[in-house]
Amino acid sequence: MANTGVGAGAFASCFHCGEPCPPGPPILVERDGEPQPVCCHGCQAVSELIFSSGLDRYYQFRTSEGRKINDDLEMVAGIWSACDDRQELWGEEHTDGKRDLLLQTEGVECSACAWLIRSRIEPQTGVDRVQVDVGTGYTRIVWDPAQTKLSTLALELAKIGYRPHLPVAESEQRARLKERRIGMLRVGVAGLGMMQVMMYAVGLYAGETFGITDGARRFLEWTSLLVTIPVVLFSARPFFTSAISSLNVRRLNMDVPVALAIAVAFVASCFNFLRGAGDVYFDSVVMFVFFLSSARYIQLVQRHRNLEGGAALARLIPEWARRLQGSEIETVLAADLSVGDLVRVRAGETFPADGSIENGTTEVDEALLTGESAPRVRGPGEDVVGGSVNILSPVEMRVRAVGRDSTVSALGRMLLRAGGERNRFVSASERIAGYFVGFVLLIAALTSVAWLYFQPSAALSAALAVLVVSCPCALSLAAPASVSAAGRALLGQGVMMTRGVALEVLARVDVVVFDKTGTLTSGRPRICSVKINPDSPGLDEEALLGIAAALEAHSAHPLAHAFRVKSPLPGVTDVTTVNHGGVSGIINGERWSIGSADFVGLDEKDVANTGIIVWLARQSAKQSGWVAQFEIRDELRTGVRQTIDELHHRGIRTVIASGDREQSVSEVASRLGIEEWHARQKPEMKIERVRKWQRTGSRVLMVGDGVNDAPVLAAADVSMTVSGATDLANSAADFILTTDSLATVNRVMEISGATRRVIRENMTWAIVYNVLALPLAIGGFLQPWMAALGMSLSSLLVVANSARLSRVASKRSETTETVSGTVPA
Amino acid sequence: MSIIYLMIPLGIIFAGLAVWALIWAIRSGQFDELESHGWSVVLDDDTKPPPVETENDSQDEVEREPDS
Repeated sequence: MANTGVGAGAFASCFHCGEPCPPGPPILVERDGEPQPVCCHGCQAVSELIFSSGLDRYYQFRTSEGRKINDDLEMVAGIWSACDDRQELWGEEHTDGKRDLLLQTEGVECSACAWLIRSRIEPQTGVDRVQVDVGTGYTRIVWDPAQTKLSTLALELAKIGYRPHLPVAESEQRARLKERRIGMLRVGVAGLGMMQVMMYAVGLYAGETFGITDGARRFLEWTSLLVTIPVVLFSARPFFTSAISSLNVRRLNMDVPVALAIAVAFVASCFNFLRGAGDVYFDSVVMFVFFLSSARYIQLVQRHRNLEGGAALARLIPEWARRLQGSEIETVLAADLSVGDLVRVRAGETFPADGSIENGTTEVDEALLTGESAPRVRGPGEDVVGGSVNILSPVEMRVRAVGRDSTVSALGRMLLRAGGERNRFVSASERIAGYFVGFVLLIAALTSVAWLYFQPSAALSAALAVLVVSCPCALSLAAPASVSAAGRALLGQGVMMTRGVALEVLARVDVVVFDKTGTLTSGRPRICSVKINPDSPGLDEEALLGIAAALEAHSAHPLAHAFRVKSPLPGVTDVTTVNHGGVSGIINGERWSIGSADFVGLDEKDVANTGIIVWLARQSAKQSGWVAQFEIRDELRTGVRQTIDELHHRGIRTVIASGDREQSVSEVASRLGIEEWHARQKPEMKIERVRKWQRTGSRVLMVGDGVNDAPVLAAADVSMTVSGATDLANSAADFILTTDSLATVNRVMEISGATRRVIRENMTWAIVYNVLALPLAIGGFLQPWMAALGMSLSSLLVVANSARLSRVASKRSETTETVSGTVPA
Repeated sequence: MSIIYLMIPLGIIFAGLAVWALIWAIRSGQFDELESHGWSVVLDDDTKPPPVETENDSQDEVEREPDS
């Protein structure tokens, strides 16, 4: 940030948001009589309001900086007032006419934020209750529409610096909330039941030692049964449904032995109770159910946290759009837009949907979506992506895709795939769990047979202990719990994981293949020089650039960006695009091609150049018939050098496989100290190389960005795309980096290594625990309740150990560098 | 020992009440978010009036019962 302000020293950082204050007369805010610098009037207004309402403790206790917001409050009020008379947006209606409103609030990062929002919104007239979920950023407001307006609430949130949004996928969010609530109720019922039954059990055990009347014993057993029934039927229900559905598909999952243990213990106890002889195990049953449903609830919350990542992406889309109806402009919900609508987007606003520009030319900032920090020029006919920001001038846009078809929603789905996808390790442990269950059933049967022979009264107890103690929960939790925790850590680093299995493989990668253009380099190439063939008649540089630009407008190749110009372009018809070659089309009746020398039919040995040469030729051209050559250069991405050095330091082989010509590839390779490089690689050649390494036992990570990399990304063991990558490449990638710096590659590898370690720890612990406990259970030394406790604790330990991953990763990122992440964590 | 015939049914009734209270509390969303409420103890200031919605909060120095 240091610029020409020499002598001024480092600029003070903003009291509210922590960003550097701009040079010039400082903007100040007073705290306890002492002036504090702030960076902008937005932050000034927010912190002044916080002080004047006596909420300044927020600054004392917050653990993250405020979010800088330059929202024009009048604009916020104007936009939100449009929904004051739309009842369907007010939230769920309660019977008393109150509304239960769910809003996504941007910038909620710590508990102090939640407190600030509650303290500000709750005292408003007509507001009953406010809840802020720090993990997901959702704010729930129960309010009375008769006393206040929705726009008032939204404005109040904006005033203290939290930008409100209508929730995307509200129904899913509410369904998840419901699931969490019922999960908590199951835990609660099991817990209360456990307390009761344990108390009666104390009476029964004491009675066994000190003597008890038959009537009292009978009574205690009765009450135990009474309390256990709801616990088994309600709290333990998920285990039964899961076990039954797994048996239906003829597979044994980890819920089968759990359900079996509950059922056996409960039925045996009822049987003993009815015949009036033998032990009852109601206390073991409820305790078992309580511990298992607690562990299950924790997993549920963790899984939901993961799912919210998708919602964070969807938050990029604005709620409102200005739709043109004839000459009228009406403000509508972005969700109500349909394909073909004409929308006006003013400068500074976010595009509400995918579409193409109809009128006007502007610069578009796609930083949030692609990490591409340089604005791109977009003119009529060019595509814009919903979520990107219109920087320069107002344009009119024809909507092309909304809702589920939009780019943002496709990204969100890709992210969700990670949740559903199972790690190879996971499926391995599931297979182990299957064998394990069979083994355990056998051991349990043998144990009871043996005990029946020696001491019939202890047979059931020992068999139960075997069933309970060997519950392979910890084993089955080992991998998925770690992977999901790592996924959250990655999101915090600006990396989206689309396939969980990749994380485990990544830790064992020994070859990293980089694409060059757009991956090692910034992907923002510029035309350095234009050389016109002296033998070719007529056209001047500007006209040739126009032709080149018109052709390249149809290419998604990174090099094509160099040709983006503002001036109107000649029309092109009959366009053909060849992956990894170029574009050809008919302009003014003549067929032109642009691309590599191969593509335009030239032998390029004629010319020696250090930059990348793009050739423009007429189709009729023979060997020397080129018309113009454009020399294009591309700067290296930030952090490339360190990334490569770090990889070498780890003993990982790095390779460049690029479609470019030798000179430019070798130049980049030598600058980065990469010894092995391959130039002029076509996708199928790159795939062949990858396969060759794989045959020799290497595991290959491919890092790429272009359309032409997509098949190679799919062929490699693990794949990453860098920011600014094409959609097709992203869809084939396991990890999508959204930060501009390539250093993130190493962060992902670190997290992957940590994940592998944690999975190993988890599995070792689970197996050691079982190996130790099983003989004890067979020997009859373990009461079923001890087994239940031990097993639940081992599962909880696995979950807690995995959760460590997200903390480790965030600590590391603080110490190394602040990554310019763009995806809200 | 016959007292248990009175006390245990009473205990079950209380447990039933506790379940009912739990259902009520969960339904009304009190357990939806468990992280930030712990901070209220530190952050809330009982000696000062809670913030009010008026724009000119500074004039509002009257002692008042906090209602949150």
